Amino acid sequence: MPNGANTHCPYCALQCAMTLTPAAPSAQPGSDPAPAAKVLPLLEVSGRDFPTNRGGLCRKGWTSASLLNHTGRVTEPMLKGSDGVHRPVTWDQALMLVTGAVKQTREQYGADAVGVFGGGGLTNEKAYQLGKFARLALGTSRIDYNGRFCMSSAAAAGNRAFGVDRGLPFPVEDLDSANAIFLLGSNVAETMPPFVQHLQGARDSGGLIVADPRRSATAAFTGDGGGIHLQPTPGTDLALLLGISHVVVHEGLADAEYLQSRTTGYPAIVRSLAAFWPERVQSITGVPATLIRETARRLADGARRGGSYILTGRGVEQHVDGTDTATAAINLSLLLGLPGSSRSGYGTLTGQGNGQGGREHGQKADQLPGYRKITDPAARAHVAKVWGVDESLIPGPGLPAVELLKSLGQPDGVRCLFVHGANVAVSAPDASTVIEGLRSLDFLVVCDFFMSETALEADLVLPVTQWAEEEGTLTNLEGRVLRRRKALTPPPGVRSELWLMARLAESLDAPSTFSDDPETVFEELRLASAGGLADYSGIDYAMLDRGEAAYWPYPTGSSGTPRLFLDGFAHAGGRAVMVPVAPQKRSQRSAVVGSDPDPLTLVTGRLLEHYQSGAQTRRVAELAAAQPEALLQMHPATAVVRNISDGDFVRVSNQRGEVLCRVELSNSIRTDTVFLPFHFPGLGSANRLTEAVTDPISGMPEFKASTVWVRKAALPEVEPALAVPAAAGPSMHVKEAS
Amino acid sequence: MSERIVVVGFGPVAARLVDELLPAVRSGLVQLLVVGQEAEAAYNRVMVAELGVGRTTAEALAMADATDLVADGVEVRLGVTVKRIDRARQQVVLSDGTTPSYDRLVFATGSRPVIPNLTGINPDPSHPVLPLGVTALRDLRDAAQLRDAVVAGKRVIVLGGGVLGLETALAATEEGALTTVVHNGSFPLGRNIDRGGGAVLAASLRNSGITMVGNARSTAVEHNGPDGMFSALVLNDGSRIEGDLLVLSCGVRPRIELAEGCGLPAATGILVDHHLRTYHEPHMFAIGDCAEVRCADVECPECRTAPGPSGLVGPGWRQAEWLAEYLILLAEGGQDAADTLAPLPQEKPGVVVLKARGINLAVAGDNSAEPWDDELLCVGVAEGRPRRQVAQWADPEHGRYVKMTTRGGALEGLVTVGMPRTAAELVMLFERGSELPADRSLLLRLDGPDQLDSAGANNDPQRTVCRCAGVSGASIEEAVLDGCSSVPEVSKATRAGTGCGGCHGDIKGIIEKHFQGVAA
Repeated sequence: MPNGANTHCPYCALQCAMTLTPAAPSAQPGSDPAPAAKVLPLLEVSGRDFPTNRGGLCRKGWTSASLLNHTGRVTEPMLKGSDGVHRPVTWDQALMLVTGAVKQTREQYGADAVGVFGGGGLTNEKAYQLGKFARLALGTSRIDYNGRFCMSSAAAAGNRAFGVDRGLPFPVEDLDSANAIFLLGSNVAETMPPFVQHLQGARDSGGLIVADPRRSATAAFTGDGGGIHLQPTPGTDLALLLGISHVVVHEGLADAEYLQSRTTGYPAIVRSLAAFWPERVQSITGVPATLIRETARRLADGARRGGSYILTGRGVEQHVDGTDTATAAINLSLLLGLPGSSRSGYGTLTGQGNGQGGREHGQKADQLPGYRKITDPAARAHVAKVWGVDESLIPGPGLPAVELLKSLGQPDGVRCLFVHGANVAVSAPDASTVIEGLRSLDFLVVCDFFMSETALEADLVLPVTQWAEEEGTLTNLEGRVLRRRKALTPPPGVRSELWLMARLAESLDAPSTFSDDPETVFEELRLASAGGLADYSGIDYAMLDRGEAAYWPYPTGSSGTPRLFLDGFAHAGGRAVMVPVAPQKRSQRSAVVGSDPDPLTLVTGRLLEHYQSGAQTRRVAELAAAQPEALLQMHPATAVVRNISDGDFVRVSNQRGEVLCRVELSNSIRTDTVFLPFHFPGLGSANRLTEAVTDPISGMPEFKASTVWVRKAALPEVEPALAVPAAAGPSMHVKEAS
Repeated sequence: MSERIVVVGFGPVAARLVDELLPAVRSGLVQLLVVGQEAEAAYNRVMVAELGVGRTTAEALAMADATDLVADGVEVRLGVTVKRIDRARQQVVLSDGTTPSYDRLVFATGSRPVIPNLTGINPDPSHPVLPLGVTALRDLRDAAQLRDAVVAGKRVIVLGGGVLGLETALAATEEGALTTVVHNGSFPLGRNIDRGGGAVLAASLRNSGITMVGNARSTAVEHNGPDGMFSALVLNDGSRIEGDLLVLSCGVRPRIELAEGCGLPAATGILVDHHLRTYHEPHMFAIGDCAEVRCADVECPECRTAPGPSGLVGPGWRQAEWLAEYLILLAEGGQDAADTLAPLPQEKPGVVVLKARGINLAVAGDNSAEPWDDELLCVGVAEGRPRRQVAQWADPEHGRYVKMTTRGGALEGLVTVGMPRTAAELVMLFERGSELPADRSLLLRLDGPDQLDSAGANNDPQRTVCRCAGVSGASIEEAVLDGCSSVPEVSKATRAGTGCGGCHGDIKGIIEKHFQGVAA
């Protein structure tokens, strides 16, 4: 096989195009600090011209190849002994153990005692087959995935308003010509840097508007006449959006003709906005009324000159009212007549690599392939027919992620769990409780490339292929289906998850068929998705390999849908549905408890150098050297009254747990807010502090507004354990870099 | 048997209550009748002045829709007044001749404008008949009158220097009317603001083009215009201020006569306890402008210091939300269930934020203390609690003024003029009762130009130029020394500029600097 391929980055949903070629010895361009890695990467990464990234890559992408032959990589199945140490076993032994555990659990507790936790980084083929595997081979309804922590609120809001959820219902280059772009709760300059190129047009016309409690790297782009930074206090985005919408309605900025012909529900929206005049919203959010008015006018003006876009991110969605907040953003865009036009629109920026495809093909508790509802009899019949099974064999809806994790080890809960492409011990809210849940399981199987914090808890760790070692497809943040290509043969003991599912299905005597060949699985996915909202039936590998831009829905015989909604929305009647929303009454929001007088609001988020739980990026020497530990960002004025100086160790605590970390002073954050990245485990794990309360509609947890207290701490006795992420496990190589 | 609730009045507060009760109406748990005096369902009265100057539409002010409510099972009677309430029979006697009965009744009768005692104006407080060209700017018809004057660029006189008067005057001026504000006292907003803030505010109002007439006592109106229209306001010194429209903005008074008429006790407003229940009649309630929360317990610490009705809509909405919950609990599980709900928390003093485009002003709480008051200069605690403290900033030349009155670090009063970001921040801190940063000047700098930009130019060679790829200025310089003379070449050698592209200008700068040096 030729080593080298045109593929896409393993990390975020922008899926930057990259070319992988065999590395010539010491051909790596130096970046600083020069990585002192002892093991040279096998592949050289270069950016490839593509509409989304235009040849650009961020630091994560540039260094991604170093994980392929990382010395800490798991290359054989590892079984945990009674002494807690993982030791290699053969694949035959591993498969036998898993089969035995599943059978025993099912016999003793029923099929729903076996659970599956998937990931938004899995290819479409794996996500699809994982859903099928859970329902047919394991016979369980208990499957959900970490996308519930990312996209579920925006997805629920999109489905409610438009009848379909595709992150960006337009190609990302459409943003280039925009006159105004309103970004809410998204720090793209850190999370997907090459995306920033598409904001340039709006910056040049002074129309970049960023809502973020921090003056993030993205918010800083609004400086020098680039636009407006709105700095609401955390948890008040919904009121802010209602205030802007109020101005649109009252100042006659709404697109009356559009509302009349393309939407329903406008009169109720108007009434719901009457109470949110800018000065009142100012009192709730801390955003000056003048800026609320200016934002509304700027967006309306932009819609007339070149176009306006409203884009939301996790900052506004990861709340207990996340669905309603995303709905408020959609309502604002509908008032301005943006969605379904070729020059304007609303979108949500998907986070994980296959966060879009991963939420379409059956990994969700309530869903079957093609974005079908598992409760819909017609959907069940269609999928049962494709799978060649009786419809009664497909279980009903299961539990969304947070509930699923809460049920671990509980009576009537999950007792045997499969984890694929997720690191819940770090990424789930109230992480300490999740870890306890993992420990209370009868059997935990984790598929990963590294000894992640979740893998460390596993009875059995199964080594799987990385992105450069496999074929498949992913669907990027625009709903465009992309090919992932193999550039390298995986290490001998490593298997693909498709292979694993096929073998286990065999040993569990599952009905239907399970292939270990990605293209064969994709061909089946095409049939299963046909006629669904996310219809892939007209897409095949050959077409993608020719470089065709394939946006779903792509029914057989069509040429795909780069822009959704041009002719109508996906609801019956073709109209978008406007649903009135309002902030929850104060008594219903989680109240500040305790007598300690000066709580702060904790916001969690990402750093440029790391991805998700950091299981991968913390192992890249260059990235770990740049951001080795969790730092709590705090305003100097907030710090000085607590007698805290830059670099001090602090204890960040609340009723759920505490984090011990160093402080980084910054005047880019509000004085009532602190920020902690969520990429770190152990004592620095931000999710020890987040609460497992969820949005009633989407099941999204509250990640972005937790009450905490911050106190100066004595220097911990085991400082090295902090400086070097505790993730270490048996093979910790991060330290080499420092 | 579902409970029958009658709501008397259909303003913004009643609309909120009805909204919250809707689920219980739909489920059949309660029957709901709303009686509104005006022909329209509830609309946002707070914005009537905005409507009057043409900045919004009547449609956009709507807060309820009678047809939708009826479809949900609510009985709505518009253009109907409640003549009296028969407590013995538990019935309301309506102007349409019907007498619906109630299990529970909620007064949401709001308030009416105070009509000053001026020669030429009928002083009957409950049925004022105002001469042509005089309006109290309370409902949609009043707004239309103002609209006509503003469109024609006429002379508008606002009598009263309160919030609503100033908002009207500013909006009318900005939209083209010639406006005069007549107020008593030496500065406007005298009830809320301190002298310093008042002086800066008055100057700002004058700069906006408003004629300010202070320390004025008006005695009469003249109506010598066509058709007996208003023509001038006469002051007690004999001077006349000529104009085409007189807007009376002299405050509001709770509408309590229905409650009083059926024997319920009232002070300024209808007296209610912490459960919003009227005295003696626990199945009758009052919310919003017409209600005065002051319980019968003379010892109650909250009620001893409680101010009367605030005239602000926020507290009314909170009362409506609370009462809806209480009424639903009552209907579901009787008094025992309702008793599980904690009483309505005490309102903090109201916040006034001027709804205006040209002038930014926020006032809240008690601003009477001055920084050099004797009491304030002593440190420590007094009577077991921290002393009051005042921090102040005055810059009349630029129309800026801030005063923060704190106790134990939390705001008890605030005044800001001309500082929008500071105002936004302080109001939020006040509403949340949060502690201010110890360095108060931090709050003043929010409006400073230094806040608006990220890190400025930095010549430190170790500074990261390309954040995306994490490349320092030194590495780029090194690459240039090694022969790179364009951004793409530098990118290829160092990866700098290969992410978002935001640093291309900086890279170019480094290249140019190098070659300038070589040339020189």
